Amino acid sequence: MHQPAPQWLIWTGVVVVAAPSALCLALGVATAIGRGPSERMIVRWVQAAVIAGLSAALVVLASMLLLGTRHVAIPMGDWVAIPRHYQFAVTFVFDRLSVPMAILSLVLSATIGAFASRYLHREPGFRRFFALYAIFLLGMVVASLAGTIETLFAGWELVGLSSALLVAYFLDRPAPARNGLWVWTVYRFSDAALLLAAVALHHIRGTGDFVRLLGEGPWPAGEADLGAWPAFGIGLLMLLAAAGKSALIPFSGWLPRAMEGPTPSSAVFYGALSVHLGAFLLLRIGPILEVSPPLAAVVVGLGLASAVLAYLAGSVQTDIKSALAYASLTQVSIIVVEIGLGFRYLALVHLLGHACLRMLQFLRAPTLLHDYHTLENALGGRLPRGRSPWTTRAAGRIYRLAIEQGHLDGGLVEYVVRPFTRALEWCDRTERRWTDFLDGNGSRESERVPPSPVSIDEHS
Amino acid sequence: MSATSTTPAPDALEGENRMDDELAESIEHAAHLLPQQGPITVFIHHNTLHALEDLTFDQALRRGAEVFGCRTYLDEDRYRDELIRGRIRFDELREVLAEDLGASADDPVPGFGTRLDLRLAMLQDPLRIGPTEELVWYVAEYDALRRTRPEVSSATRARLIAETRRWAMRDLRPNGHGDPIARLIGPNGPPAARIEDWSDAEWEQFALGALWRICGEGVRNLPPPPAPTPMPVRHRDVLFQATGHDADAMVHPPLIRLVAAFLDQGLAAWTLPGRDQGFFSAFLALYARPGRLPDPWRRDLAIELRRLIRDRVEPLESVQRSLDDLGVGRDERDAFLSATLLALRGWAGMIQQVEERSDRVVHPIAPGSLVEFLAARLLMDRFALAQLAREILGYEGPLSGLREAIRQRASGPRGPSVEQRAFLVFQLAQVSGASPDVLDRLNPAGWAQLVDEIERFGSLDRRRVFQLAYERRFQTRALDAIAIHAKDPAPTPEHPRFQLICCLDDREESFRRHVEELAPDAETFGTAGFFSVAMYYRGADDAHAVPLCPAVIRPRHWVVERPIDEDAGESRRRHWGRRLLGMASHQIHTGSRSLAGGALLAPMGVLASIPLVARTLFPRLTARLRQSLGRIVLDPPRTRLQLERTTPEPGPEDGGIGFTVDEMAEIAEKVLRELGLTDRFARLVLIVGHGSSSLNNPHESAYDCGACGGSRGGPNARALAQILNDLRVRGLLSDRGLAIPITTRFVGGMHNTSSEELILFDVDRLPADHREDMVGIRAILDRARERNAHERCRRFLSAPLTLSFAGALQHVEARAEDLGQARPECGHATNAIILVGRRARTRGLFLDRRAFLTSYDPSHDDPLGTILERILMAVFPVCAGINLEYYFSSVDNTGWGAGTKLPHNITAMLGVMDGYQSDLRTGLPWQMVELHEPVRALFVIETRPVVLLRILGRNPGLRRLCDNRWVVLASLDPETLELSTYRQESFEPYRPRSGVLPGAPSSADWYRGWRDHLEFATIRDGQARPRPNTDSIVSR
Repeated sequence: MHQPAPQWLIWTGVVVVAAPSALCLALGVATAIGRGPSERMIVRWVQAAVIAGLSAALVVLASMLLLGTRHVAIPMGDWVAIPRHYQFAVTFVFDRLSVPMAILSLVLSATIGAFASRYLHREPGFRRFFALYAIFLLGMVVASLAGTIETLFAGWELVGLSSALLVAYFLDRPAPARNGLWVWTVYRFSDAALLLAAVALHHIRGTGDFVRLLGEGPWPAGEADLGAWPAFGIGLLMLLAAAGKSALIPFSGWLPRAMEGPTPSSAVFYGALSVHLGAFLLLRIGPILEVSPPLAAVVVGLGLASAVLAYLAGSVQTDIKSALAYASLTQVSIIVVEIGLGFRYLALVHLLGHACLRMLQFLRAPTLLHDYHTLENALGGRLPRGRSPWTTRAAGRIYRLAIEQGHLDGGLVEYVVRPFTRALEWCDRTERRWTDFLDGNGSRESERVPPSPVSIDEHS
Repeated sequence: MSATSTTPAPDALEGENRMDDELAESIEHAAHLLPQQGPITVFIHHNTLHALEDLTFDQALRRGAEVFGCRTYLDEDRYRDELIRGRIRFDELREVLAEDLGASADDPVPGFGTRLDLRLAMLQDPLRIGPTEELVWYVAEYDALRRTRPEVSSATRARLIAETRRWAMRDLRPNGHGDPIARLIGPNGPPAARIEDWSDAEWEQFALGALWRICGEGVRNLPPPPAPTPMPVRHRDVLFQATGHDADAMVHPPLIRLVAAFLDQGLAAWTLPGRDQGFFSAFLALYARPGRLPDPWRRDLAIELRRLIRDRVEPLESVQRSLDDLGVGRDERDAFLSATLLALRGWAGMIQQVEERSDRVVHPIAPGSLVEFLAARLLMDRFALAQLAREILGYEGPLSGLREAIRQRASGPRGPSVEQRAFLVFQLAQVSGASPDVLDRLNPAGWAQLVDEIERFGSLDRRRVFQLAYERRFQTRALDAIAIHAKDPAPTPEHPRFQLICCLDDREESFRRHVEELAPDAETFGTAGFFSVAMYYRGADDAHAVPLCPAVIRPRHWVVERPIDEDAGESRRRHWGRRLLGMASHQIHTGSRSLAGGALLAPMGVLASIPLVARTLFPRLTARLRQSLGRIVLDPPRTRLQLERTTPEPGPEDGGIGFTVDEMAEIAEKVLRELGLTDRFARLVLIVGHGSSSLNNPHESAYDCGACGGSRGGPNARALAQILNDLRVRGLLSDRGLAIPITTRFVGGMHNTSSEELILFDVDRLPADHREDMVGIRAILDRARERNAHERCRRFLSAPLTLSFAGALQHVEARAEDLGQARPECGHATNAIILVGRRARTRGLFLDRRAFLTSYDPSHDDPLGTILERILMAVFPVCAGINLEYYFSSVDNTGWGAGTKLPHNITAMLGVMDGYQSDLRTGLPWQMVELHEPVRALFVIETRPVVLLRILGRNPGLRRLCDNRWVVLASLDPETLELSTYRQESFEPYRPRSGVLPGAPSSADWYRGWRDHLEFATIRDGQARPRPNTDSIVSR
C-alpha cells in the first residue's frame, strides 16, 4: 500500500483541478446572468486560472520528486456506493503518467490562451471561444489526472463536447457545422465504446478504480487482475474509444475536418492535445495490454496501418493545416504502435515532444509563405520539389488512395451511415402508414408546409 | 444511365470547328467575371467588379448583386445607425433623393403626399417584413394592432387618433345600409356600443385595426409585381431551391482537392501524377481508375471517363457533350457557363490567373486549363445530379429534362402575399401619418399605384440612396476642408533644410505631416513608390529576382545588390552559415511530416516549447534577442547596388545588369519633373520607399507597396538616390535644363509601415559635412516615427489611449513580431481621397491618413498638362483599384472579401481557404477592412478643368471611370484655388458649405483621445483648439 500523501500536497493537487473548474464556472455564470465580461476581464481570469493550475501542478511534481513519492491519490469520495454491487468514485491520481500529461495540457493551454487573446481580438465569438476553452482545459486536466474510469470518462466527454463545438465555431457558414457534426458523431461513437468498457469493468470487477483494476504498482508497473479474454474484449472496446479520439483507422477523416475552427483551437486541440488523448488512454490501461498479447497485436496493427495511411494522405495534402493534421496522425499512430509494443516511457516522451513541436508548427501555419520565402533565400534557390517515390505504374494508384484519404469517409457514409438512416427511414415510413391508417386521412400536416424561403432582398 | 452521352452523328461534324470556336468564345466570355486576383504572395489591389466597368457604378452594382449573389451596399440598419449618429445627415439624404428623382420627385402618391415624401419615409424608418405565416402570427398575437410602431412620433400618433376619431364619429355611424364601423372594429376591438367613451388607447387600437383591415382589403386584388429574380439556369440551383439537396456539396470536395493538387506550387510533398499533361488528362487518369468506390455516382463517372479515354474526347468537345446532355441550349449557354464557373469562382479564377501570368508562378500550367477544368467539373456535375435526382426525386429520365421536371413539381417563386403587401402599407401609413379614412377612400387604381410606388423603391434602391447620402457627407467635408485650407496653408520653406520624397500612399500622409510639424524647415513630396525605377531586383540575401514596379509593367532591367569587396569574404561565410541553417530548418520542416523523421524529431520536440512560449508571450523581446544573436554570428555585410550596365542589351547576368547612363538620366528627369522638384534643391534629399512586415499573415503582401507590385519599395528608392548622385547623370540633366547643385546629395531609404522602422541606405558614402547634417535629420525622422506610431495606435483598441510616443513605437514594433496578431497594421483601411497637386496647398491640413498625396506642380507643366496626364495614367487605376477593392470587401466581406482571417488555411502556396476546405477566398479579410468607410475615391487634381477635360478626352480608360462614377473627380484651380466637380462631361463650380475649419496646434492635440475617423483640421502653432466636432461621438 502507498504511503498516504501529506495533507498540503493533497490540497495542492486539488488546486490543479479546482483552478480550471473555477474558470469554467466563472465564465459560464457570467454569461448566463446576462452581459458577459469584457475581453480584458476574460483574459485576466484565464491567466489567473491557468497560472494557478500550472504552479500547483509544478509544486506537486517538485514535491513528488523530493519526497520520492510515485503515486499520490486524491479521493473525492464515493458519489454512489451500493455495497458489493456498484461504486462510483471520483479520484485524482498524480503519477508518472498523469503529472507530465497535466503539465503539458496546462502549458500548451496557457500559451494558446495568450495567443488567442490577441488573435481573436474583436471577434464576435470571443467569449464563446474562451468558455469552450475553459471546458476543454478542465476536460484535459480531469482526464489526465483521472484515477477511476468514471472520472476519465467525465473528462473525456468534456473534451469531446468542447472540441466539436469549436470545430463548428463559425456559425455563418455551413461547412463548419457539417464538419463539427461529423467530429461529434465520431466522438459519440468512441464515447459509447468507452462507456461500454466501463460498464463491463464494473460488471467484472465491481469498481472503476484504476488502482484496483490495474494493480497496485505505480505507473507504468502494475498488473491487471483480469482474465485474458475479458481483457481482450474490454481492451478492444478501449481501443475503439482510443481510435475515435485519436483519429485512427477507420475514423481518420475527422482530423482534417476539425481544421474548420480558428487557428489557435486547431493548433492546441487537434494538433497537440485531444488527438493524443486516445494514446493516453492506451497508456493508462497498459497493464491490460500486457495480459492479452492478441490485444497488443491488434493495437500494433491498427497503429501501423493508420501511420501508413496518414503518411500517404499527408504527402499529397495541398493545404498546410491538413498536411499538419495528417503529420500529427502519423506520429500519434506511431505512438500507438510503441504502446502496443510495450515501450511506454518511449511513448510518453514521444507524445510530449510531438505535442509541443506540432503546436508550434500549427501556430506558425499562417506564416508559411513568409517562412518559405526566408528558407528559399537562405538556401539560395527554390525549395526541392517532392516527387512520389513510387514507380509510375504504382504512383497513380497510390496517389489516388492518398488523395481520397483511403476512401474512409466515403466508406463510412456508404456502408455505415446509409444503412443506418435507411433503417430509420423505414421505421418512419412504417409509422406514417400506421398514423395515416389510424387517422383516417393524412397525418402530420406540418410536414406539408414548405420551409420559409430565406429571401435576400438584394435584387428588388 | 441518363448522364451518358452519345457520339455525334457524322453529319453533325460539319461546321463543328465553327461551333467549337463559338463555344470557346462563350467560355472566355463567362471567364471575364472570375476574380482577377493572382497568387497571394504578390497581392495586387484591383476593382472587384472590374469586368463591369463599362456600366455605371449603380448599374454595375445591381448587375453584380444578381450575377454574384453578393451584397453591394451596407445593410439598411447600418445606414440608419449612421443617420442616427449624424454620419448621414437628413438634409443631405433629402437632397440626394431629390436629385435622384429629378422632376418626378413631386409626383403625387395617393395618400402619401409626393413621391419624395413616401421615399423619405421609407428610408427613415425600418420596414419590417417576414414570411406570411409569421406576419399573421405577429399581427394576431403581438401588439401591432394595439400600439403604433415605436418609431412613430407622439405628434403623428395624436393626429392619427384625432383624425380617425373625427372620421368614425362623422362618417361611420350606423345608417340604413348597415353598420360600417363593425366591419372595421374586428373581433378584439373595443365595444362599439360605448364608442363615445373610448379612451385614447382604445381609439389607437381602433385606428390601427381599421388601418390594417383597410390595407388588407386595398391590396387584396392587385396584380402581382413582376418576378424579381429570374429562375436559375444551373440544374444544381434549381434542385437546391426545390429540395435543399446540394449537388455541389458532393462535387466540390473531390474537385477542390484535385484543383489544389493541380495548381500546387510546392506545398504538397508529392506532385499530381500527369500534371504536365494538363488538368483534363490528369483528371481522367485519376478518376477513371477502376476499383471499388464507395459513392455510386463516382462509379458511374469512372465508367463514363473510361469511355472518354477510349474515344479520345477533347476537353472542349466534352464540354459540348455535357451541355447537350444537360439540355443547355444556345440561348442560355452564356448564363449557364458563367454560373457554373462562378460556383467555385476563387479556384476557377486562380486557374485563369496562373494560366495567363505564367511568369508570376514557379510551376506554370498549360494554356487552356480553364476549359479543361470546366470539362471535368461538368462531368462531375452530371453524375452527382443524376444520383441526387434518382435518390431524392426518384427521377430516372434524361438530365436535359431535370429542370423542367422539378419546376413542374415545385410551385414557382411566389410573389408577395396579401398580408405582406398590406403590412408594408400599414407600417408606412403609421410613420407618415396617413389616416385610415384617406386610405379607405382610395379606389383600386389608387391602391395599385400606391403599392407599385412602394415596391418600386426596393431595398437595393433604398441602400443606393443611403450610400449617396453617406458619400455626400464625406465629400462635402473633404472638399470644404481643401477649399478652405488651400487658401491659407501652412508656410512652405523657401530654402528647405532637407527634402523627403515618399510614396503617395495614404499611410505616408501622417508620416509626412509629422515630419513637417517637427521640422517646419523641411519639405515633403509624394510619388508612386517605385520611383519610376522599374526593375527585377535581387537583394544580396535573396534567392530570386522579383519585379519591383506596378503590375501592368513588365520590367526590362535587372538590378542586383552585392556586398562590397572588403566584405566579400565575410559575406561568403555568412552565406554558408545561412545556407546550413536553412537546410537544417528545411529538413526539420519536411522531416517532421514524414514517418521516421517525425519519430526521430519528436522526442526533441519538447525543446520547441521554448520558442513557442517565448514568441507568444514576449514577441518583441524574442525578436530583438534573435536579431542580436544573429548579428553576433553573422554580421550583415555592407552592400552596393549594381546599377550600371556595360552591355548594350539588358539582361539578368553580369554586364547586362543595370541601366545605361542615358536611361538613368531619363528616369531621373521623369521623376523630378513629375514631382515638380526642379529647383530649390536642399542639401539632403531623402527618398523613402515603403513596405510592411508582419507574422502569421498570409495577406502580408497586401500591406506592401502597390506601386511595387505588392513588394517593398526600399530598393527602388535606393536605386533612384544612387542614380541622382551620379555626376554623369547630373551632367545630362543639366543639359536638359535641370541643374542639381553640387552640394545636393540624395539618400535612399525604406519605411516599414507596420513596425515604423526606417532604414537609410549608403549613408556611409555621404561626404563628411553631409553626414553631420544627417545626424540632426535622423533625429527628426526618429521622432516622426514615434509620432506616426502614436497616431496609428489610436486606431488599435488594444493600444491604450494613454500611450506615450515612445510607448507607441514599442507597441507597433511588438505588433509586427507577434505571431498572434491578426492586425499588424490597418493597411489602406482609411483610404478615401486622392490629391494630385502641390504639397504647399495642403501642408498643415490634418487629413487623418485618408489621402493619397501625389506631388505635381502645374506651374512646371505645359498648358496641355503632359506631365499631369502621365501621372494620372499611373495614379488613377492604382488608387481607384485600392479604393474599390476596399469598398467591395467591406460592404460584403463574406461575399467579395476573404472573411475573417481566423480560419484561413494557406493552400497550394497561392491563396487561402476557410478551414478544412472551401473555395479559394479572394478579396480582403475582415481584419483589414473593419475600419473602412466604404466611400468612392475622391480625386482632387490641382489644375484647370479644361486641362482635365482634355486628358479625359484622350484616355477612354480614365474617362470611363469618371463618367460611370466609379470615382468622383474634382479640380482645384492653381490660380483661383476654386474647386469644381466633374459631372457628365463638364465641371461645375463647387460652393463650400462651411466657412471655417477647426484647428489645433499639433496633430497629436487634434487626434488625442479619439478612436474613430476624425474631421479634417488645420494644424498650426498657436491655433486654439475647439472641441473636435466629429461625427463619431458614438465610438464603435
